Amino acid sequence: MENVIINGLQQGLIYGFMALGVLLTFRILGFPDLTVEGTFPLGAAVAATAVVKGIDPTIAVLLGAASGGVAGAATGLMHTRLKVNNILAGILTASAIYTVMLRVMGRPNTPLLAYDSFFTKAMGLFGLNESQMSLFEMQVATISILFIMVLAARLLLGWFLKTDMGLTIRATGSNEKMIRALGVNTENTKLLTLVIANTLVGLSGALACQNQGFADVGMGFGVLVAAIASVIVGEMLFGGRSLSMLLTGVVLGSILYRSLLALGLRLNLPAEDFKMVTALLVLLALTLPNLKLGKANSKKKTSMLGSLTRSLGAEKQ
Amino acid sequence: MIKLNNIYKYFFADTPNEVVALNNINLNIKEGDFVTVIGSNGAGKSTLLKAIAGVEMVDQGIIELAGKDVTSQPEHKRAREIGRIDQDPMASTASDMTIEENLAMAYMRGRRRGLLRAVTGGRTKRFKEVVADVGLGLENRLQVPVGTLSGGQRQALALVMATIAQPKLLLLDEHTAALDPKAAKQIMEITRKIVDTKKLTTLMITHNMEQAIKFGTRLIMMHRGEIILDINQQEKEKLTVPQLIEKFTNTSGTTFDDDRVLLAN
Repeated sequence: MENVIINGLQQGLIYGFMALGVLLTFRILGFPDLTVEGTFPLGAAVAATAVVKGIDPTIAVLLGAASGGVAGAATGLMHTRLKVNNILAGILTASAIYTVMLRVMGRPNTPLLAYDSFFTKAMGLFGLNESQMSLFEMQVATISILFIMVLAARLLLGWFLKTDMGLTIRATGSNEKMIRALGVNTENTKLLTLVIANTLVGLSGALACQNQGFADVGMGFGVLVAAIASVIVGEMLFGGRSLSMLLTGVVLGSILYRSLLALGLRLNLPAEDFKMVTALLVLLALTLPNLKLGKANSKKKTSMLGSLTRSLGAEKQ
Repeated sequence: MIKLNNIYKYFFADTPNEVVALNNINLNIKEGDFVTVIGSNGAGKSTLLKAIAGVEMVDQGIIELAGKDVTSQPEHKRAREIGRIDQDPMASTASDMTIEENLAMAYMRGRRRGLLRAVTGGRTKRFKEVVADVGLGLENRLQVPVGTLSGGQRQALALVMATIAQPKLLLLDEHTAALDPKAAKQIMEITRKIVDTKKLTTLMITHNMEQAIKFGTRLIMMHRGEIILDINQQEKEKLTVPQLIEKFTNTSGTTFDDDRVLLAN
């Protein structure tokens, strides 16, 4: 049980960055950004390669995050400047990233077990020495570092979305015509949001590779659906009433979702079925409002998941 | 303030369905003018406003705003100087966001939107004052999402938002058409008050002939993409609705066929 909690927290916090990014594009901007399936392993590949090349792991993680931002910019430019459909733009970038990863790493995966990780470096900052710590202490320290980072990202994002610039992002998702009529270039708003969101996803991937000790071109498979599941869990359980609740809820949703996966593994449930189960759960959550199971109930669900279903095209016609 | 020279706008150009939405429009609106625009369905009223706002790009002609050629400027650039309200109450406000957030976005029209907190104590004080002026009690509900307001309240808020940053031009596209008669009357009074106190150059489309005569300093009537009547203030003051309909019939050679206009009162 202890392991389930530790795993859930570790994974949940790492993927929490990604959930925040997905929340930003899918839910707040209303832009179904599929780039993230490529951005996540890209962040890992770049960070891993940088570490192998002798770059400090902290800077390597930052490079991984930045590479995500570049991928987001690619999708954003394709969509806003070249007028490519938003879903297709994301798929094109994600597909191209595959080549980029293979070129960057020179092979499909990079093991990092022989190198210092970002987490041991960060622990060093607090005067902790890896060689004198038990596995449990290491795990708790890792979780603490991740917690501080996620908290910082959550607070930063919450602050940003309440600035003049942040408001234009939310308004672009809520009523694009209106904010354009107030003098805002919504193409730039979308581009900016995609860069921020994919930076978060790149960071998530970079941290995942530092935590698990390797990067692999295939590690992005299905991460988007998992992130959407986290957003849905967060929004349903922790409320989507206010922006602050939503941001916090999504991180908690990510932790809860990853804990459930860890619990499933612990109970020896067949791991190969997890992606199918997740996909079905997401499908169910998105279509539940349309199934008309009791009117009052369905209305509530629609409002909670309104924007997400809007961007995913599952809204009631 | 705004000058239109030989404006043409075609829809479905070069197809059998080609429509001339704006047919050689020439219009010169002076600073402080409040122009009401009336015309039958498909006359090109909305297209005219959209052309001025940059929502639709014109095919020919030159649009000047405050002495500057803005013909090729995109909508968001022109919007720095132009406030605009649509007839759909959902269109001019962001329903998921609060009243004060909507106001904050409108307040920043034409300015650089940076990383300062959008809703601050100082701004809220100002928002309260301007919202209190419209007299709907919205000043006590600034933290409420706009989606919970009635259509009339939303249009009142839209009016405040369109004018809070003192635009050079205000464009109103039948902004009371979707409201019930009582709310519509209220919004028209608020409109008159704001336009008067802020001395705004205004172009207002209406389907209500009485409204078109009663409000504003100049009346233009459109038909099939052309301006067929242009009535100044002195003439307008003596005008009645039957006279206006007669003028329309005489100039256009057709009878006025928009029931909505004829039945409105």
